[in-house]
Amino acid sequence: MSKNRNELSDGTNIADLVKLDTREVQMRTLEDRELYALEQERLFGKTWLMLGHESEIPNANDFMVRYMGDDSVLVTRTKDGEVHVNLNVCPHRGMKISTTEAGNAPVHTCIYHGWAFRPNGDFLGSPIEKECMHGKIMGKDELGLKKARVELYGGLVFATWDIEGPSFDEFLGDAKWYYDLMFCRSDAGMEVAGPPQRFIVRANWKTAGEQSAADGFHTLMLHRWLGEVGNYKKEGAGSDLAEEMYGAEVSSPHGHALRCIDLARKIRRLTGKEPSELSTEEKLRILPPPGMTAETVGQLKNNLTDDQMEVLAWMPPQVGGMFPNIIFAFIYIPQPDGTVIGSMALHTYVPKGPDKLEFMNWVLVEKDTPPELKEKMLKQTIQLLGTSGMVEQDDSDTWPHMTMSAKGAQGAKSTMKYQAIYETSKPEGWPGPGIVNEGFTKDDTQWHWWLYWLELMTAEK
Amino acid sequence: MSHDVEECVMDAMRAPVAIGSERYNAILTFLYNEGSLLDNLKLSEWAETLATDLLYNVPIRHTRSTRDSAKSIVRSCQHMHDDYRSMMGRIMRLAGNSAWAEDPPSRVRRFITNVLVYETDKADEFLVVSNMLVTRNRFDDDHYDLISGVRTDILRADEASFKLARREIIIDQAVLGTPNLGIFL
Repeated sequence: MSKNRNELSDGTNIADLVKLDTREVQMRTLEDRELYALEQERLFGKTWLMLGHESEIPNANDFMVRYMGDDSVLVTRTKDGEVHVNLNVCPHRGMKISTTEAGNAPVHTCIYHGWAFRPNGDFLGSPIEKECMHGKIMGKDELGLKKARVELYGGLVFATWDIEGPSFDEFLGDAKWYYDLMFCRSDAGMEVAGPPQRFIVRANWKTAGEQSAADGFHTLMLHRWLGEVGNYKKEGAGSDLAEEMYGAEVSSPHGHALRCIDLARKIRRLTGKEPSELSTEEKLRILPPPGMTAETVGQLKNNLTDDQMEVLAWMPPQVGGMFPNIIFAFIYIPQPDGTVIGSMALHTYVPKGPDKLEFMNWVLVEKDTPPELKEKMLKQTIQLLGTSGMVEQDDSDTWPHMTMSAKGAQGAKSTMKYQAIYETSKPEGWPGPGIVNEGFTKDDTQWHWWLYWLELMTAEK
Repeated sequence: MSHDVEECVMDAMRAPVAIGSERYNAILTFLYNEGSLLDNLKLSEWAETLATDLLYNVPIRHTRSTRDSAKSIVRSCQHMHDDYRSMMGRIMRLAGNSAWAEDPPSRVRRFITNVLVYETDKADEFLVVSNMLVTRNRFDDDHYDLISGVRTDILRADEASFKLARREIIIDQAVLGTPNLGIFL
């Protein structure tokens, strides 16, 4: 038995993998099998994890199968409308309860020996009731599926195994004020445009995870095509991609991160006016958030405070993540005809071993987005993000190289550096909470992501 | 589009174009030439074979019970959802200096088999169903990414050859084993 729960088998202390004074993280973190196993307990067994959207299971007894870390779970809707998350493992002999990905079932019957469960996970019975196949040692109430704690946020389904741990609101902390601008702003709320795209990337989940914590810099190089031939190509020569790096970045002690990008240039282009000449309401009508229209932006005041609306019209969160493995893109994409069409997508990077991840991509729309706009958003989002997305193709080709780098004896000892540090603070007049810094993108948000990783990996039980 | 294709398949099943006939051979020649252009990264030449009203889709696959097997093909959110304009955008990106997902390019081979051709209610359009196996290899990888599926195309005859007017590729994986669709199928 290890004397110190933070000591790896070669004597390395996990805390030594993150160098606090120089803001470096050892590459070993991206490959190590022992760390991976510990992450399954200390991260994926502890934090709130996103499993999808309730609009994927709209009807009573609908279900879908998702993953919490390596564990398969059943996400179900019961007759009373509640959403439940249960381990997709039969308590009898460990067979998967559902071998399909989605469907509708009033009873989930294990195909191995026939133990049956209600959609809420309760044990219903085993075949041939009078023979009592499940024995008499344990009562029926002890033989249900293992239940996770569930929270719906803006229709998104979150779950955790930490039944007594922090609430979802505590987990989000100050960052919730900003997530509300995206997920809780309209009257009808959001829905998925369809089930998620799923594909495998041969990379450690943290290569994608740390990038999701608002890595602004990589956009300039890895996604350079956007400025060369894509949507951010300038008339004449050159690119104005770098201009998109200005704004404010929100960090969180829980590793959440949001890049709030200034809309001023887009507003000037659309109106020929200075944003300061326009009211918050005018700006929101001219450039509505993705999926909203001039007709529906009036709903914002029903759901957000004046301060939140001010930020939404000024520097809305456009890309960022939620710890540990979620990235969002709520982006305003310039069109060739001078208009703007939004795209909204959420991904999770599901760990599949130290050098493999599953990329899940949900495309979101507002429920009351007009059908024609929904179709345009869906097409644009698929063309830019996810499996065939012209932007994210380049990411999925990069992370495997980082993971390979970490396999070398020297590579493993190399470090990732997060040394571009903000020396600013909140923009003048910024009404939002949290750790906020203004200016060109920096590394702080990603560094805070690693600090929370370290905190959870080295926490006392 | 998807429903068009399905209805088209149903209608067309009544009028197969005989294997080995002149028309069939012309279509097979088009498919082989197309595969060769794509394998050899002659994308601007491939672009010339696309109809300007092209619709190009790759549905998502879902693992569903036999009873629900019709739901195993998902056409709401898809892996690709493209038209002529967006395909030209993809080709332009690949021709640029920074399309890293395909620079250096994958080594790709397209195997097109089991080709069946049907007439449609338009005299110049043919419904073409084929099996597809794509092998993709990158960098020092010792493994191949395999992409198998069925393609349903509408080819429209023009003076010289054909133009691709519709393509739907139904892939046989619910979770794709390749890190992106930075290549054309």
